[in-house]
Amino acid sequence: MKMTISTQSKEFLENLRLYLFSSGKNETEIEEIVGELADHLSEAEAHGKNVDDIIGGTPKAYMEQIASEMSLDLRSWLKYIPVLIIGVFAYDLLGSALRGGIEYSLLTLGGNIFILLLFLSLTVVIFKYVASKKLSKTKEYALFAILGFTPMILFFGLIFLDRYVETPSYKFSSTGNMIAIIVAILAFIVISVWGKTWISIILPLFLFLPEFIMNITDVQEELKLIISGIVVPLCIGIYFFIALKLEKRKDEKKVTH
Amino acid sequence: MSSSQILKGILEGCLLSIIAKGETYGYEMMEKLYSYGFTMVSEGSIYPLLLRMKKEGLVVTSQKALPSGGPKRKYYSLTAKGIEELKAFKERWHDISMSVDHLLGKEG
Repeated sequence: MKMTISTQSKEFLENLRLYLFSSGKNETEIEEIVGELADHLSEAEAHGKNVDDIIGGTPKAYMEQIASEMSLDLRSWLKYIPVLIIGVFAYDLLGSALRGGIEYSLLTLGGNIFILLLFLSLTVVIFKYVASKKLSKTKEYALFAILGFTPMILFFGLIFLDRYVETPSYKFSSTGNMIAIIVAILAFIVISVWGKTWISIILPLFLFLPEFIMNITDVQEELKLIISGIVVPLCIGIYFFIALKLEKRKDEKKVTH
Repeated sequence: MSSSQILKGILEGCLLSIIAKGETYGYEMMEKLYSYGFTMVSEGSIYPLLLRMKKEGLVVTSQKALPSGGPKRKYYSLTAKGIEELKAFKERWHDISMSVDHLLGKEG
């Protein structure tokens, strides 16, 4: 027998999954409770009840009730951070390699490494603090905002500092640039395989390929602007739209299979 | 303690008692609760409770395939700690209900 539930119930379950995932809950536990509720809803609907009868109050209140009984699982979130850092580095390297060669001053290189290490330690400290203390949502968001803005502000500071302070700089040779490009592309492919996602290949492709082709061919300035200003964002938008649709269809299958 | 918290405590004790009678799953527990007149609680409210009871080690769950096929169903059974807790709940409830009955009976 196939388990059938109404569109309204499916929608509720999808929202619940998203709510729990963005609250940092464990993925296996999320699938467990969503599956259990799907089971309940299918039986309740067979007896003529609907999702509103089941959850009592508002969906939000019910989701909060469920979330408050599930523990935070920061480890499953932490694993994304090294990937994020490698991704950002690969993106930065590929960008500079394609735009006339990689050049790092000693200050930028040291500064970048310092900021990354600081960001990592700050992440661990803040995540641990949030996980162990019962904080209000506002305080939690404030802490995450500090975590997000600290590296950004430091990176900007570094760019300014680099303009005023002269340090020896190192320019990659053309072979060095080629190697950097290959390493960066490999990094994107590895991330894509690891995360079972196309985004880490498709996004750099959209961002760099048109620019690269335009640079080696003779395209008029005006056409260049149109392509990089309209076509590229449009392609990225269409990609996200299709990806979202596919993801939604996959979720629906998960609930009803 | 708010009235909903009192109800939660009572509901938890009742769920322990239902699960103690044999392995069961969410919808079945709800049907039993309703058959005893617990219509003041919404059906879904048992799931946050069951999550907490599992976290506290009062119950364990297992996934079982249905004879009719389809997705697996989650069944609950009591742990030794759950059995202890049920015993303690019964004693607490006995004291509370006796006192309330006694008082209400006297006031007529």
